[in-house]
Amino acid sequence: MAKILLVEDNEMNRDMLSRRLMRKGHEVAMATDGREGVDMARSGEYDIVLMDMSLPEIDGWEATRRLKQAAETQALPIIALTAHAMAGDRDKALEAGCDDYDTKPIDLPRLLGKIEALLGSTT
Amino acid sequence: MTDQASPGITSERLIPGRGGVARRQAALLRLSTAIAAAHDEAAIYRSVVTGLRDEALGYNFIGVFVVDDDTGDRVLKASVGWPDVPDDWRVPFGKGLSARALEDGKLHYTADVTRESEYLPSLNSGSEVDVPLRVDDTTIGVLVVESSEPNAFGGEDFEILTAAANQASIAIGRVRLLADERRRADEHKALLDTMQDLVGELELSRVLQAVLERAVSLLGVTGGEVAIYEEDRRELVVVASENIGKNSTGTRLALGEGAMGAVAETLEPLIIPSYHEWLGQSGKYADVTVHAVMAAPLLIGRRLVGAIATVHSDPNRVFGPEDLRLVNLFAPQAAIAIENARLFTAERQRAEEQRALLATMTDLSSELELSKALQAVLERAVTLLGVTGGEVAIFDDATQELEVVASENIGKDSTGTRLTMGEGAMGVVAQTMEPLIIPSYHEWLGQSGKYADVLVHSVMAAPLLIGGRLVGAIATVHSDPERIFGGEDLRLLNLFAPQAAIAIENARLYTEARQQRKYFETLVDNSPVAIVTLDREERVVSCNPAFERLFGYAKQEAIGTNLDALITTDATRSEAEGYTREALNHPVHGIGRRSRKDGSLVDVEVLGVPVIVDGKRVGLMGLYHDITELLRARQAAEDANSAKSQFLASMSHELRTPLNAIIGYSEMVQEEVEDLGHDELGLDMQKIHTAGKHLLSLINNVLDLSKIEAGKMDVYAESFEIRSMLDEVAATARPLVDKNHNELVVRAPLDVGSMRTDLTKVRQMLLNLLSNACKFTEHGTITLEVAREAPATDGRAELVSFSVSDSGIGMSPEQMDGLFEAFSQAEASTTSRYGGTGLGLAITKRFSQMMGGDIQVQSAPGQGSTFTIRLPVEVAVTPTGATPD
Repeated sequence: MAKILLVEDNEMNRDMLSRRLMRKGHEVAMATDGREGVDMARSGEYDIVLMDMSLPEIDGWEATRRLKQAAETQALPIIALTAHAMAGDRDKALEAGCDDYDTKPIDLPRLLGKIEALLGSTT
Repeated sequence: MTDQASPGITSERLIPGRGGVARRQAALLRLSTAIAAAHDEAAIYRSVVTGLRDEALGYNFIGVFVVDDDTGDRVLKASVGWPDVPDDWRVPFGKGLSARALEDGKLHYTADVTRESEYLPSLNSGSEVDVPLRVDDTTIGVLVVESSEPNAFGGEDFEILTAAANQASIAIGRVRLLADERRRADEHKALLDTMQDLVGELELSRVLQAVLERAVSLLGVTGGEVAIYEEDRRELVVVASENIGKNSTGTRLALGEGAMGAVAETLEPLIIPSYHEWLGQSGKYADVTVHAVMAAPLLIGRRLVGAIATVHSDPNRVFGPEDLRLVNLFAPQAAIAIENARLFTAERQRAEEQRALLATMTDLSSELELSKALQAVLERAVTLLGVTGGEVAIFDDATQELEVVASENIGKDSTGTRLTMGEGAMGVVAQTMEPLIIPSYHEWLGQSGKYADVLVHSVMAAPLLIGGRLVGAIATVHSDPERIFGGEDLRLLNLFAPQAAIAIENARLYTEARQQRKYFETLVDNSPVAIVTLDREERVVSCNPAFERLFGYAKQEAIGTNLDALITTDATRSEAEGYTREALNHPVHGIGRRSRKDGSLVDVEVLGVPVIVDGKRVGLMGLYHDITELLRARQAAEDANSAKSQFLASMSHELRTPLNAIIGYSEMVQEEVEDLGHDELGLDMQKIHTAGKHLLSLINNVLDLSKIEAGKMDVYAESFEIRSMLDEVAATARPLVDKNHNELVVRAPLDVGSMRTDLTKVRQMLLNLLSNACKFTEHGTITLEVAREAPATDGRAELVSFSVSDSGIGMSPEQMDGLFEAFSQAEASTTSRYGGTGLGLAITKRFSQMMGGDIQVQSAPGQGSTFTIRLPVEVAVTPTGATPD
C-alpha cells in the first residue's frame, strides 16, 4: 500500500478523501496549503502526492513546479485534482509537471486506478 | 304618262315655225352651260326643264322624274307646263308610259297617247317622248316631254332631247359623286377626330389595327397591313394585319422588300395590279391570296415612320387613281397616329416610372375621364349620323349590368341609369351581341320602364366589344317620326362602336393602374418606415411623411439634394455611400447611424433596393427604420441575460461545494455500512448518492449553458489521439450502457489519427449523446462511430464525424422539432420517465458550433436515432469572450 500526501485546503474534501483512501489500506498524510504541501513532500516520506490546484499561500500549479524543479522531489509522482472539468485545466496541470490529473468530485475507483498506474510505473 | 288634262290648253309648240338651226344650237349650249353650272341635283333638274322651255326649242310640257331607290317610285323633281300636277308627284313602279324607258333604258315615243292604256293623263290627248336618265349604266330617272297634239315629235327632237338627257345624266353623276365624296370626307374627318382623341390612350399596335380596319372599310378592299419603320434597324415591322390570308404581324421587311418595303424606299405610293406577277414581291408573302396591292409610305414631313398596304383578293377589283387619292388622304393621318402613339408610349413609360418612384400624380377622377371620352365619341356619332341623340353605357362585369355614362339629347339625362341584360335596347344588344334597329320604340315590346318618359321615335343600338368581349353598348335615337334608321346608319354606327369600346377598355386599364398606384402611394404615405427614393445621381426624388418625421427635413428641403450629404456625418458618410452604391445594383440591408436636421444622431436599420423599370435602373429606394428603442431594449435584454448567467454561474459553483460533500460522504458511508453488513442502510445511502450525482449533473449543465450564454465559455485547443479519447469515453459510459442491458459498439478506423480541438468538450458531447442513447434504449445496441470526412466546401478544414446510433424508441419529426433548444425534451412526460435535464443536447449543439462544427439528427419512431457531430480536425480558436451566437 502506498504512502500518500494529500494537499487539500477544503476540510470536508480532505476528510472525505483521506478516510476513503485509508479504508482502501493506504497511509495518508495531509497538508492544507501549497507551502505546507511542498515542505512535507521534501521529507521524502511519500510515494505519491494528490494535489488540489486552488490552494492558499502558493497554488497547486506553483507547488508542483517547485517539486518538479527540485532534484530530490523530481521523481515524486503528482496527480492534480482539479475542480469541475474545466477545459485547459488538464493542460495547465501537465504543463506544471503533474504526472496525471483527475477531476472532482472524486470517482474513487478511477483515482485508485491512476495511483496504481503511476506507482506501478515508478516502482 | 301625265295625269289630268285641261281641255283648255292647246298646243303651244310651233313645229313649222321653229327657230333656225343656229338658234336651236345656241339654246342647247345655254342648256348645257346651265346644267354644268348646277351644284346640286335640284338645280340640274330646274336647268333641264327651263332650258328645254326655251323659245328656240319650243317644248311646252316638260318633267323630270327620278327613281326613289327604296320604293322604285318615280318622283317628279321639276316640271313646266303641266297644269294641276303636285310638286312631288309620285308615280308607282311600273305604271305610266315612262316606265318603259326606265325598263330598257331607251328613248320611247308615243305618237298618240289616247291609244295607250298605260297613259296616266296629264294632258287629255297628244304625243309624248320619254328619255331615260342614265348614270353609271343605271337608269336613275326619266325626262318626259309632251305635246297636246299627236304626232308632234320627230327625229331632230329625239336628238335634242337625248343630248339634253345625257348632259343632265353626266351632271347628276358628277354631283352625286361629289356628294358621296363629301359624305365620305365628313366620315373621315369625324372618325379621325375621334381617333385623335383616343390615340393618346392607345397602344401603338391597337391604334394601328384600328387605323387599318378603318382604311380597309373605307377603301372597300379585302384587307391590308400597317408596318412601322424602325430607324435603328432600317426595317419595317408589321404591327397590324387585317384579312390578307394570314396574320402577318411581326413580319420584318427590309427597305425595298415587298410592296411596303418598296414604298418605304421610294417614299412614293405604289399600285401593283397583279401582285403575283410582280417582280418585287417578298418571299414572306408567297402564301397569301392577294390579287392587287396598293401601298403607301407613312410620312411625317419627309421622315418615314411606316407604310400601309391594302389588297384586293378579288381578281375583278383593281386600284385606280381614286383609291390612291383616298389612301393619300389617309396615310398622313395614320402617320400621325403612329407618331402620337409613340409619344404616348414614351409618356406612358414615364408614367410607369413615376408610379414606380411613387411620385405624386394628378388626381383626376378616371370616371370623369372616361365619361368625357365617351361623351366626345357620342357627340360625334350623333352629328355624323344626323340623329337626335344617343347614349353610351359601360358593362359592369361584377353586377352584369350596363351603366349609362354618356347621354346626349334624348329628352333627359340618363347618366347613371343601370340596365340589366336584355333590358331596353342596349340591354338587348348587350345580350345578343348584335346591333339592333327599332323602327318605333314606343310600340316595341322590349322597352325599359326607365325610358318611358323620353321622346324617342326610333332607336338603333350596337354592342361595344373588345375581341368578342362585351364592354358596353351604344344607342342612337331619332325623335322625329319621319326619320328611320337604315343599313347605312348601321354601317356608320359600327364604325364608332370600336372607338367607344377602346375608350372604355383604356379607361378600365387606366383606372386599374391608377388604383394600384394610389394603393401603393397610400401604403407609402402611411408607412411608419421612412421611405425615400433617389435617382441615379443619388438625389432625393421623393420621400414620405415618416421620412420627414425621422430626419426632420421637410419634403421640399430633401428633394433634389444628395441623400448621403443630407443625413450622414463625416463619420458615417463613407459607410452610407457604400450602401447607396451597392443598392443601385442589388438590395442591401444593414444597421447604421444617421444624423437628423438638428444634428442629433439616430440609429437606423437601412434597407436599400434598386428601382428597375422595364429592365432599366432608374434609381433606388431607401427604407429607414428607427431602431433606437430596439437597440436600447436589446442592450437591456443583453444586460439582464448576462446578469442572469452570472448569477447562475456563481449559484452553481456555490451549490456544488456542499453537493460534493453529500456525494462523497454518501458514497463513503455506503461502502462502510456495506462492509459492516447493514445492507438496507447501504441501499438508502446509494439512493442519496445517486440523487446527489444527478443534481450535480444538472448543476453542471446549467453552469455550462450559462457560461455559454454569458460568452464565458472558451475553447481550448489541444491535440489528442482520437482513438484513445474514444476508449476513455467508452469506459466512462460503460455503467450507463450496462444499466439498460445494452451493447456498445465502437467503430474507429486504425488510421483515424489525432485532432486538435477542445478535448474536454468533445468528451462531454459524446458522453451526452451516449447517455441519451442508453436512456432511450433497452436490450439494444448503441454504436459510436468515428470517421474523417472531406469538408463540405472547398478551402475548409477536414472534418471528423462522430455518430452515436441507437436501436431505441426513436422520434417523430414533431419531436425532433426544437430538439436542440435548451430545456427541451421530446415530451414533458419523457422527463419523468427517462429523467434528464433537457440541456444535454442544447449544450452539445452549442459546443459543436463553438468548435466550428455542427450536429445533426436522423430518426423515426421505433427506428432508433442517429446523432452526428462534425468537427473540423483543427479548431480555429475564437478570442476569449466571443459569443458563438
